[in-house]
Amino acid sequence: MKPRNVVHLYRVRLRARLLQECFAVVGIAAGVALLFASQVSSSSLQSSVSRLSSGIAGEATLQLLARDPHGFSQSMLARVREIPGVRVAAPVLESGANAIGPKGSRSVELIGADSSLSELGGALVRHTALRPFLGIGAVVLPAPLARAIGVRRFGQEVSFQVAGHTSEAPLYTELRESQVGALIGSAVAIVPLSTAQAMTGRHARVSRILIAPAAGAKTRVWAALQALAAGRLNVEEIGYEQVLFAKAAAASNQSSALFSAISALVGFLFAFNAMLFTVPQRRRLIVDLRRDGYTPRSVLAVLLVDALLLGGVSCVLGLALGEELSIHLLHANAAFLSLEFAVGSERFVSWQSVAIATGGGMLAAIVAVLSPLRAVISRDPLAAVAQPGVQRDSVAARQLRSPSALGAAGVACALAATLILLRAPDAAIPGMVLLVAALLLLLPLMLSVALEVLGRFARTIVGAVPHVARMELSAAGARAVAITATGAIAVFGSVAIQGAHKDLLAGLEDAARAANSSADLWVAPAGAYDLMNTAPFTPIEQAKLKRLPDVRAVRAYRGGLLDYGERRLLVLAPPRRAAPLLPASQILVGSARQATDRVREGGWLVLSKAIAAEHHLHVGQSLRLPTPNPMSFRIASMSTNLGWSSGAIVMSSSDYARAWASPDVSAYAILLAPGVTPDHAVHEVRQALGPRSGLAAQSAEAHTAQQNALSRQALSRLAQIATVIPIVAVLAMAAAIGAVIYERRPRLAKLKLEGFPRASLWHTILLESALLVGVGCATGAIFGLYGQQLADRALAETINFPVVYSVAGVGALSSLALMTAAVLAVLAIPGYLAASVPARLALAD
Amino acid sequence: MLELRDLVKHYPTPGNEPVRAVDGVSLTVSSGETVALYGPSGSGKTTLLLMIAMLLEPTAGTVRIGGRDVASLSEREASNFRHSELGFIRQSFDLLPGVSAIDNAILKLLKTTRWVTAQREIAPLLERLGLGERMHHRSETLSMGERQRVMIARALSTGPRLLLADEPTGSLDSRRGHEVLELLRALCRERGVAAVIVSHDPAAAEYADRVLSLRDGILSESS
Repeated sequence: MKPRNVVHLYRVRLRARLLQECFAVVGIAAGVALLFASQVSSSSLQSSVSRLSSGIAGEATLQLLARDPHGFSQSMLARVREIPGVRVAAPVLESGANAIGPKGSRSVELIGADSSLSELGGALVRHTALRPFLGIGAVVLPAPLARAIGVRRFGQEVSFQVAGHTSEAPLYTELRESQVGALIGSAVAIVPLSTAQAMTGRHARVSRILIAPAAGAKTRVWAALQALAAGRLNVEEIGYEQVLFAKAAAASNQSSALFSAISALVGFLFAFNAMLFTVPQRRRLIVDLRRDGYTPRSVLAVLLVDALLLGGVSCVLGLALGEELSIHLLHANAAFLSLEFAVGSERFVSWQSVAIATGGGMLAAIVAVLSPLRAVISRDPLAAVAQPGVQRDSVAARQLRSPSALGAAGVACALAATLILLRAPDAAIPGMVLLVAALLLLLPLMLSVALEVLGRFARTIVGAVPHVARMELSAAGARAVAITATGAIAVFGSVAIQGAHKDLLAGLEDAARAANSSADLWVAPAGAYDLMNTAPFTPIEQAKLKRLPDVRAVRAYRGGLLDYGERRLLVLAPPRRAAPLLPASQILVGSARQATDRVREGGWLVLSKAIAAEHHLHVGQSLRLPTPNPMSFRIASMSTNLGWSSGAIVMSSSDYARAWASPDVSAYAILLAPGVTPDHAVHEVRQALGPRSGLAAQSAEAHTAQQNALSRQALSRLAQIATVIPIVAVLAMAAAIGAVIYERRPRLAKLKLEGFPRASLWHTILLESALLVGVGCATGAIFGLYGQQLADRALAETINFPVVYSVAGVGALSSLALMTAAVLAVLAIPGYLAASVPARLALAD
Repeated sequence: MLELRDLVKHYPTPGNEPVRAVDGVSLTVSSGETVALYGPSGSGKTTLLLMIAMLLEPTAGTVRIGGRDVASLSEREASNFRHSELGFIRQSFDLLPGVSAIDNAILKLLKTTRWVTAQREIAPLLERLGLGERMHHRSETLSMGERQRVMIARALSTGPRLLLADEPTGSLDSRRGHEVLELLRALCRERGVAAVIVSHDPAAAEYADRVLSLRDGILSESS
């Protein structure tokens, strides 16, 4: 057949089956949209870190890194440049800061650099001549950031709160998208190195030196750098930050992977429902073409054009929908991670995301269109399409597909998932896959049990409604299972994710409360960037605070981050006399009381269980930390990760000062005099600190609330996922059931001809819909609760998150009720219209 | 049992003469009598059936079933009347796959009867129709002839006084067509059911007490 004729044939047929094709397009597009949005969401954070890192580092492949925010002496730069084979060496001083303008403030990564950074050619500074602003101590900001804080003019002042001080810098220029591309969304402020040193109080110090070795000299340079570092600095590949971030974002990435899988499944089921709607017509087309003498190859060409057009239109629509979804709903949120990693807020749409979503959509279209392929190659196409599934299948094949055989396979999968739950919680993703498989395999059995129950009930009453509903559903076969499966998967995902989300949030809030409970008030560097109290500052304010009448005691709190292997650990160092010193609810192994005594004594620490397991460490054993002043500690007990996904360490404040070789503090824990309200004391402390101070006072309650808000923000994607999936599923099920009802109008007319009134037919339609959705959602809810336990165990055992175990029974019931009600509400009017079909239609065939 | 008096159905057409689908048809069919109605496509057969079944309002004339003028029935009454007094057999089988023959047969009866009672009541009829061994088999495993017999059982399940059959042998081969028509005539006679069989099948005439022909909406006795 000529291509032009194939297209002509498609156009002619399209007019006759526009509704069915539109349904198929919507089904596949929904799948593509979900897959695309989840892919973009999950890849954006990692891409953002990678791009920002390479945007700064350019051609550099190695770096000499400080082990703490104090950095190391700038004099190292000359020694690095002297190493044979070093082509470019650029010093950088980085620090978290709060940028304030007339319109507001934003947390930024302050980057101090000199003109040698331009030589590395990183996208962030490639188009910015660094030399002119070196002399005037000005700042370069990305245009959206400058706009957000309200500084637009050259020379306009920007205030920076950093390391407990406030300083100003004039705006030199804004970076535009044409200059820095996708990095435009990065929250960075570039200042001359000397300005950054002055702002942070780190005079003549740098955080790292970026090194571009000459061709073939990398190994030699690496060895020389190691010798220079002398075990007090780190020598790393330039991608080290990405490695650390990947580890920290592992939990988030796993939830994204789970979402991608559930999205793909819901999308596939939507497409499958749509496919079942179009299959009979394609079967008839094949019969007609084959009878008219077309060869199988010609018929295949016709079908492939169908698939190409169906897939193409669906993918375009799906990508557009997915783009909107990823912008407005499923945006990636680094939350806590953005406090300790340089992460931009920009969205990255990689070619892989487009390829995966488009590939999935085209595959669904090809499967949909080519499913009646057997009829194409059959010698007798009519026989191949008549009575599908009845005459051609062997007895053995039918038995294999029987509900009880599938149910048995489902039970086996559920048992395997139980084994994972009990024995290998780290295999949560395979466990979830097994649960989904069990759910899908058990659905036909659940449906037939429900129909049997309905049948038994129907036998006890007079009235045809339940009988007709039962018979119709028994006859619906694959369609009924596909619709049920859509609801089941959606509720499963929603209940499991929502339940795990709630448990994790409760655990994080517990951990935050426990960590903040040793003080009434916290004084720490101002700005959201230091919410974890990890930014050190020079201890100058303590005496002033002690003299305040509302204050009973002021204790120095220390905390920071420590890169340990592939993990960036959170280090909490409360004052020795803090009570409680350790958050007892977070201790997993060992006695909290004994551990408290030992940590107070010094030389002991509490370590996250996951890190201890990774390094095969036990309570009482010793480990050497790669701190600026490397020290050995013994393990007093093991804890959760205290809400920081990479893991945490708790040691005493004085041990921290020794290991970091610095008296700097990161917060003051203030105890109030009896009867003093925190609000009153906060006011008093703020006045004592003065308007120029970069420090801020906050009640422990407010500090906890702020941390909790960030936790909720960090987990917002899970909440979004749990919302989006049921909405899509309701639409998918309503569309699929609506399509089935529309196709059934002639049969409804025949029932009407036999004396069944409109009300009976409407009630039958509603009962069938309620049964399909109810069985699917109820099964999904039960498995969802199971999934919640699996996710909780994985979060607690593998990543060591503080999780408060619960069973989201209310959530499951409300998901079940809401989805069933939503589908019935959507279908009530189409169902009524279908039931109003004129009976004479029955005699019109 | 069935009495049609000067039944007329005209369809208006814009700017032209109305289409006279049924044009003054009068007909009486007695209890137990079988009438075969022939006519080419477009002759008004389906329109006539629709009016008898109260699914189309006549332009003029009356339809009386069992002495009752059906025009006076409300929609609900008409629905109940169709359920209890009329039986329909069509060319397509309308059996639900995955459901047994007996469950398909009792579908109509279930509106007013418990399932157990309905099964008990229909079983002798299915036996009579030669489906005794097959009544618990799923509908898709039945032959075409068996499926049409299930439809006959469903149509007669509520004990109607009038049976309307629209091409009942249209999907059957000649031998099975004869079997079905034979059964239909026998059952109608046994139960005193008046039957109107609309067909193209010449065999229908062999099993009818009277043969009528409808052409351009006008009814005439066939020779």
